[in-house]
Amino acid sequence: MINSSNQTAREAILKSIRAHLGVGDSFEPRINLRGLPVVNAVVHAQTSENGAAAQSLSKVDVFKKQLEAVNGHCFIAHTELQIVHALTQIITELKGTELNPKRVAVSDASGLERLVRLVAVEVEEVTVTPSPADLFGFDIGITTAQAAIAETGTLVLDSSRERHRLISLVPPVHIAIVDAANIYSTLAETLSVLHRTGNVSPIVTFVTGPSRTADIELTLTIGVHGPQELYVIVNEGQPLVVS
Amino acid sequence: MNHLTAETFDENAKAALTDTHLRGALRNATSLFGERRREAAASLNNWEDLRTQARAIKDETLSHLDKYLEQFVSKAEARGVHFHWAENAAAANEIICGLTAKYAASTVVKSKSMTTEETHLNDALESAGVQVVETDLGEYIIQLAHETPSHIIAPAIHKTKGQIAELFTSELGSAPTDDVAELTRTARETLRDRFAAADIGISGVNFGIAETGTILIVENEGNIRLTTSLPRVHIAVMGIEKVIPRFADVDVFLKLLPRSGTGQRLTAYQSFITGIKSNREDEGPDEVHVVLLDNGRSRMLAQPITRQSLACIRCGACLNACPVYQQIGGHAYGSVYPGPIGAVITPQLIGLEKAAKLPYASSLCGACREVCPVKIDIPALLLHLRAEITEGASKQRIGERLAFSVWAWIMTRPRLYVLSARLSRWLQWLFVRDGKISDKPTTKIFSPLAAWTSGRDLRPLDDSSFRDRWKKELSHR
Amino acid sequence: MGIGIAFDGDNMSQDNKQSNRQSAIGNRQCLKVSLFVTCLVDQLWTNVGASAVEVLRRVGCEVEFDDRQTCCGQPAFNTGYRKEARRVAEQFITVFEESDADAIVSPSGSCTAMVHHFPELFADDEAWHRRAKQIAARTYELSSFLVRVLNVEDVGASWQGRLTWHDACHGLRDLNLKSEPRSLICRVRGAEFVELEHADACCGFGGTFSVKYPEISLAILDQKIEAIEKAGVDAVVSGDASCLMQIGGRLSRNGSKVRVMHLAELLASKG
Repeated sequence: MINSSNQTAREAILKSIRAHLGVGDSFEPRINLRGLPVVNAVVHAQTSENGAAAQSLSKVDVFKKQLEAVNGHCFIAHTELQIVHALTQIITELKGTELNPKRVAVSDASGLERLVRLVAVEVEEVTVTPSPADLFGFDIGITTAQAAIAETGTLVLDSSRERHRLISLVPPVHIAIVDAANIYSTLAETLSVLHRTGNVSPIVTFVTGPSRTADIELTLTIGVHGPQELYVIVNEGQPLVVS
Repeated sequence: MNHLTAETFDENAKAALTDTHLRGALRNATSLFGERRREAAASLNNWEDLRTQARAIKDETLSHLDKYLEQFVSKAEARGVHFHWAENAAAANEIICGLTAKYAASTVVKSKSMTTEETHLNDALESAGVQVVETDLGEYIIQLAHETPSHIIAPAIHKTKGQIAELFTSELGSAPTDDVAELTRTARETLRDRFAAADIGISGVNFGIAETGTILIVENEGNIRLTTSLPRVHIAVMGIEKVIPRFADVDVFLKLLPRSGTGQRLTAYQSFITGIKSNREDEGPDEVHVVLLDNGRSRMLAQPITRQSLACIRCGACLNACPVYQQIGGHAYGSVYPGPIGAVITPQLIGLEKAAKLPYASSLCGACREVCPVKIDIPALLLHLRAEITEGASKQRIGERLAFSVWAWIMTRPRLYVLSARLSRWLQWLFVRDGKISDKPTTKIFSPLAAWTSGRDLRPLDDSSFRDRWKKELSHR
Repeated sequence: MGIGIAFDGDNMSQDNKQSNRQSAIGNRQCLKVSLFVTCLVDQLWTNVGASAVEVLRRVGCEVEFDDRQTCCGQPAFNTGYRKEARRVAEQFITVFEESDADAIVSPSGSCTAMVHHFPELFADDEAWHRRAKQIAARTYELSSFLVRVLNVEDVGASWQGRLTWHDACHGLRDLNLKSEPRSLICRVRGAEFVELEHADACCGFGGTFSVKYPEISLAILDQKIEAIEKAGVDAVVSGDASCLMQIGGRLSRNGSKVRVMHLAELLASKG
């Protein structure tokens, strides 16, 4: 029932569009966007937010600065040991707060569980990819990120490559490890990488800092439906993630 | 209940002006928003280029909308998305109610979508016995209050935290507090189970990317991510004008939208959804449906001047910049879309007759045009609509039409103009006291004069006109 | 046709490119100006017209006034009565076409902007459209003419006191007048200039809006008044008599000591 009346509706709408544009039903699609610059103009259009300063700062430095500007925390690790130390430090710090984490969820990223189990802090539970229903009872979600964007301090999560769509969202704390080699300078560059095969992954999420709202009297509140704390560990050592 | 209409705009506005709480809230919010937008725009050294680029992309898309729409649909369909075309609001609601029935859904979670406000979807779902839960904090607040949004991006901006606290106490039984963090936490806790239990998640769409069939939705709270990943069915409602051509075009719009809307470099989350998940066991909905809504948009394509209305990316910057909106807020417009953009699209969506007052509720200052990220020339559109209204209007404006006819007749005859001025110079002594025209009873004779003098004095006509002075003393020097 | 300022008729004065071309004229030549005084100034604020004449003469221009002029048609155009506006525009064009002046100058940003809108009124008539464009190309607002065309900022004015400037909307947003009035004001001897908070916020006049929606108009106006009182000035200056009527009317009703002054009046002062 929906199908046939929808075919009618589809045709009616397209017909209305064409009629109001004053074009006939059949003409060649101008999908090549003649005269409209693409990536060149886009590249020209960005940058210079950090201006000259960007030249002297590395991508990691820029990423850290931008992440911290949106209430994220950034650690830089040069070895696996340092990653584990960072995780230990984060969880220890959190234990002293009202968040007091007891249950840690870990994504199925290769090698991640091993690292987490090396953390020298007592928690009640470490589970890899708990069910969505159970996730609501976890305090920390640890994942990797497939990439990051320096100019905005953004993490790029491709959930077709790692089961982190919900682990990065439901628990109040999200810890993400990203390889420095996968940090791109700009949003434009990142989009181009995401699109390089012509097909985009089913779900790609950009994460910039913890969740927030200003819906009540424009007062900023951190931590709404998504996590209230975001920690990113930038791994400058051996890459963890297969890019 | 505050379901005011555009037809009663005059009364709505007067009432809004007497609401001191509202005016205080509006003043704070719009000036903060304005400041943040200004700073965010200034942080880029090519803001104007970005606006030009964005407008060019929109113009290109809109002038070939059928082709880009078809491309978008075909790419997304190839990735497993189901499309439904809705010619009008009723059709959209019918489709969505049909889907809730098909999936035997009893509860639906929703993220903020102005398009669903436009179709009054919540009412339709509730009539069909489906429980709808708004999850965006601002929308949740107004849902509890049985109100409509008063701003495109900050729906509850008209409420003080005291009012919100009272609302939470009475509707949710929470302890009285006006600590914003606590209020937010209450909303979060209350809504957590709703996400988990919902059968369907309904969202809007910020951009539909034709090249890849991708839906892009932006947010700060995380409720859109939850709405579109937990329930087994995701329904996205999208106006047909939301298409953009290429994946790469996202960069320009993501530079403009968050800055223009909230002064942020980027909102916390962007979800790029392309089709359904690759494997059954993956997280995310089993089904993704997109409802494409026309509801009068295709009509706007007819002329370039109205076509630009469809370039709007719903940032809300024009609302914050508008001196009228700043004083009366969104509800007074009596329409789903308030403020400058509302004043121009509402008459086009619901008809000139019903919304005839809206294009006149503007001083034509142009602040909206200045802040619009896609350079919509709203003042030009307002003037265009005013011309359409006077041309179409039959009896209502007969007095005004006559007045302007007489005025034009006089103004095209210099001697008559001089004579009328002389006449006014004599007549004004009826009204002038102490060298000015104040609000004495005599001014009530002439209603525009009464309207002026209700709050302002008026300088009288000078004893002799400039042209008299020119003749007497100024010409020979 | 006089000196004939080289001008690309397609550019409205929104485009600053013209000002470079025009500055080339310099300020040494005696230009002939035809004054477009505006109906509001003609009847309600003649001093503004007289001041404009004084200032233009002081900087070396020859000023003529064609008394067949009436109005630019803005009230009708803004209310949606384009046919009526068109008739009045035709009158304007017919009158000013006959002038051999180098420029038509007006002490009003909104009226000048309206003249620049004239071509739109004649979209369906090629001949009138061309004539409208030619007139529009020669029409300037006073401060724009002084600074951009004549390259003059010091007109020999002096005025003692503290003052501030209100950016009239059409002048600011249609004609891009922002630095020009300020540079003229800063050269007035004895005047202490204070930048008004939200100088670019609308005063709430908006033509018939001020009487169709008086309550909203007043609400907007009161925010402007608040900023003016906060600035602690003796006078508020603007380039549009309509804004000054609106602002002055409320100041008067409030019994305020702050006076309103048109830019032309300030520039003509020798006090």
